[in-house]
Amino acid sequence: MAQASQRIRNFSIIAHIDHGKSTLADRLIEYTGALSKREMEAQVLDNMDLERERGITIKLQTVRLSYQAKDGQIYELNLIDTPGHVDFTYEVSRSLAACEGALLVVDAAQGIEAQTLANVYLALENDLELISVINKIDLPSADPERVKQEIEDVIGLDASEAVLASAKTGVGIEEILERIVTMVPPPQGDDQAPLKALIFDSKFDAYKGAISYIRVVEGRVAKGTTMKMMSTGKTFEVTEVGVFSPSMLLVDELKAGQVGFIAASIKNVKDTQVGDTITDADNPATEVLPGYRKSTPMVFCGLYTVEASDYNRLRDSLEKLHLNDASLIFEPETSIALGFGFRCGFLGLLHMEIIQERLEREYDLNLITTAPSVIYKVNTIKGEVLNIDNPSNLPKVDQIVSIEEPIVKATILVPSEYVGAIMELNQEKRGTYCNMDYVSTNRVRLTYELPLSEIVFDYFDQLKSRTKGYASLDYELSGYKETNLVKIDILLNGEMVDALSFIVHRDKSYSRARKMVEKLRGIIPRQMFEIPIQSVIGNKVIARETVSAMRKDVLSKCYGGDISRKRKLLEKQKAGKKRMKQVGSVEIPQDAFMAVLKIED
Amino acid sequence: MPSLYVHVPFCRQKCDYCAFYSHSLVESPRDLISVYFEGLEVEMAKRQKDAPQGVSSLFIGGGTPTVLNVNDLERLLAMIHRYFPIVLEAEQTMEGNPGTLTYEKIKLIRSLGINRFSLGVQSFNDQLLGTVGRIHTAGQAREAIGGLRNAGFKNLNLDLMFGLPAQDMALWQASVEEALSYSPEHLSLYGLMLEEGTPLYERYSAPSSARGFKLGNNIPRLPDEDQQAMMYEWAVKRLRQGGYRQYETSNFARPGFECQHNLGYWRGKDYLGIGPGGVSCLNRVRWKNIEEVSTYHNLLRKEQSPLDESGQEVLSLRECMAERMILGLRLEEGVHLKAFEHDFGADLRDIYRDVLERYNHQDVFVVKGDYFRLNPKYSFIANSILQEFV
Repeated sequence: MAQASQRIRNFSIIAHIDHGKSTLADRLIEYTGALSKREMEAQVLDNMDLERERGITIKLQTVRLSYQAKDGQIYELNLIDTPGHVDFTYEVSRSLAACEGALLVVDAAQGIEAQTLANVYLALENDLELISVINKIDLPSADPERVKQEIEDVIGLDASEAVLASAKTGVGIEEILERIVTMVPPPQGDDQAPLKALIFDSKFDAYKGAISYIRVVEGRVAKGTTMKMMSTGKTFEVTEVGVFSPSMLLVDELKAGQVGFIAASIKNVKDTQVGDTITDADNPATEVLPGYRKSTPMVFCGLYTVEASDYNRLRDSLEKLHLNDASLIFEPETSIALGFGFRCGFLGLLHMEIIQERLEREYDLNLITTAPSVIYKVNTIKGEVLNIDNPSNLPKVDQIVSIEEPIVKATILVPSEYVGAIMELNQEKRGTYCNMDYVSTNRVRLTYELPLSEIVFDYFDQLKSRTKGYASLDYELSGYKETNLVKIDILLNGEMVDALSFIVHRDKSYSRARKMVEKLRGIIPRQMFEIPIQSVIGNKVIARETVSAMRKDVLSKCYGGDISRKRKLLEKQKAGKKRMKQVGSVEIPQDAFMAVLKIED
Repeated sequence: MPSLYVHVPFCRQKCDYCAFYSHSLVESPRDLISVYFEGLEVEMAKRQKDAPQGVSSLFIGGGTPTVLNVNDLERLLAMIHRYFPIVLEAEQTMEGNPGTLTYEKIKLIRSLGINRFSLGVQSFNDQLLGTVGRIHTAGQAREAIGGLRNAGFKNLNLDLMFGLPAQDMALWQASVEEALSYSPEHLSLYGLMLEEGTPLYERYSAPSSARGFKLGNNIPRLPDEDQQAMMYEWAVKRLRQGGYRQYETSNFARPGFECQHNLGYWRGKDYLGIGPGGVSCLNRVRWKNIEEVSTYHNLLRKEQSPLDESGQEVLSLRECMAERMILGLRLEEGVHLKAFEHDFGADLRDIYRDVLERYNHQDVFVVKGDYFRLNPKYSFIANSILQEFV
């Protein structure tokens, strides 16, 4: 083994949203001088606008730090950042597979959260060395001793050595760097062996083609290497090799243990599949690296453009986003009401929101999103099993033998005073109690089985509002269960609007049908004629409301000769209306399609 | 031949709902008026060439033209006559506010050719006048009407507003009935609009908490959309019974007394607008003067053009057509098909085929003789339809 790789450390950071991961990463970058203060944007690693605005990490990011340790040696530390949200577990597992160690960052006041726990288990599965960091010790409410106890009780790690830090004030940063050097093992792997590199991410660059983010496991790769994708056998000549410093910096070669990127004028991002192994076509490896478990979309919705003519732009934009986010899936679908669009699958609700927002912001699309749905399994009288991800595709009642819905195992960590509130909520959401234990004297872990459709409905909001924001949630798919479900259709002006249909448990169908029409009456503006809104199950009308006809919509002022002013006022009003979708003779605002999520039980 | 509008940008005090530019004479020094006249004269001298054959009608508006004193009014009319010959028997309107009108002023303007007067009555209820910051009383309006009739005005318009704070149907009906009792030749009924930047907008569109803080619970309620619609619909019917023709969405006249000057705007005729804030449109070029009086004066004195920062606007054919439609469809007569074809070289039914198709299942548009018009039952919700043309 070459000596050089002894001075490489590859690590990631595991933390709950808001526990200070990005700030900590920034401090590490600053401390090691990868960037001058002036170059630091507020938070370097969260470089999408959306990430900075929301204070979350969506895409994993990578940066190489150069650190002179107390032993006098200079180490190359590769930080592979991870997203903290439950939706992005898949991204987390990718970063972890490229590391030998991880910082477990826990907020000194809040303690361990459900998603942190989930990511810790992922790290342990990957045999990573964990370094506990208790962050935000500068907060008046910090209680590091309690948090240490939690780490020991819940995770079973020895927390006596945990680093006490404040990314905000800079306390503990050097100690963290030292621990990384001393505790995280250097990468194994022979740089003289045939090349084996794991693609843990990829991105498309208009000039360089598809760029692969790689961790070299064995061998070396340089400009001019003929590389071969082991899953497809396709070969490309490497045009660029580099590292993230954190901006892209070209280097001569990457060798075993190192993290960086390679470009090879690859036109199609599908040729750089995340999880694939790259080898040297002239000296190929025989075995591939273990890849990733494939991400499974859990939440589905229809995406349509307000203007039919934007359809092709939507398709192109989805394709571009898919280049950097393989977990986003989409296929064309047609709605009678909305025309041509796409049924898209997401990892979760946040993922869905983020994709939608990126499409609107970065690609300037005016979109209609239908309410999210899960995949139902429908057993028909013909003996088929249909996977239904769009409520409007549910077969007629007389064709259905039974419907099964996805169930998740949900873990909720919450201060003990809110246990009653959580139990009540889970009862309302058709949950089945599994287990409850104390993770510390005043914090409880509850486990429930819940229908995924209820989580999609408004579970997060309810969870947060009923626990003053203290509860955290993690869930994973546990199976399917037969349930008594019905489809509610919505008629506007006597015509069914397929995009408004939704599936609901029979016990809740009447109340939700009624609340849905009430909600829609509030959302749909008055128009030139009266609009009846009805919700029906089968052929039976359950509830009806009416949007009365508009009575006044006129510019009554005489602007004299200033006709431009009058014209511009009308132009402005017209532009405001562009946000609405014309369905038959009715104009429907975009948020009407999400109305079902906003009705409370 | 264009029509002529002259703007007088002074008021004694601005009304709470008004978004037009004007100087409050309470705060402005007297010499601002001389500055105004100096600027006006330079502009008129420059613009004379745009109306070589004179002008087809005159409208002096504001602001409040009658806030000027007798000498200034005389000076204004003399100046207009010096530069712009007015066609014989043409309509010559002046706008005014009952609180600023004296019999002396009335007699003077009548003797100097003004033959139509437009009086801003708004309401015959003092309390309602107070809610929107009008400076006059109902009594002053009655007096002004009497004075105008005595002085021989045979063409009188009264402006009335509905949708005022605290106004209900009964109060509205009372104002309309009283207006009718004076047998005006013309009535304009305007719904109150909340326009940004006005005190009324602040009062009613600010977040409710801020409002509550400022005015407590004493803030009178604005009639809602349905109530306003009922007021309007009642008035339309009442005026029809009284022998008035609703020749435009907000304007009603006895036959033969339709406002020729405004009809000119609505039918797409050329016009000159003189004075700060005045808007002109000649051969599809439109320009607006700067509103601030001293800047207006300075620019003209330096022989520069007094345009505001938006400068002049060269209207595209499409914009001209759109304007013809949005103004014409507010007229009872509608848009003249042949005039449209003559001016734009195409039949409007071809140009707007897609709009017509979208509405063809409804009775929204009517072709009668040479005219293309909007079904009157939609005139009070016309915006969403007119938007289709812009």
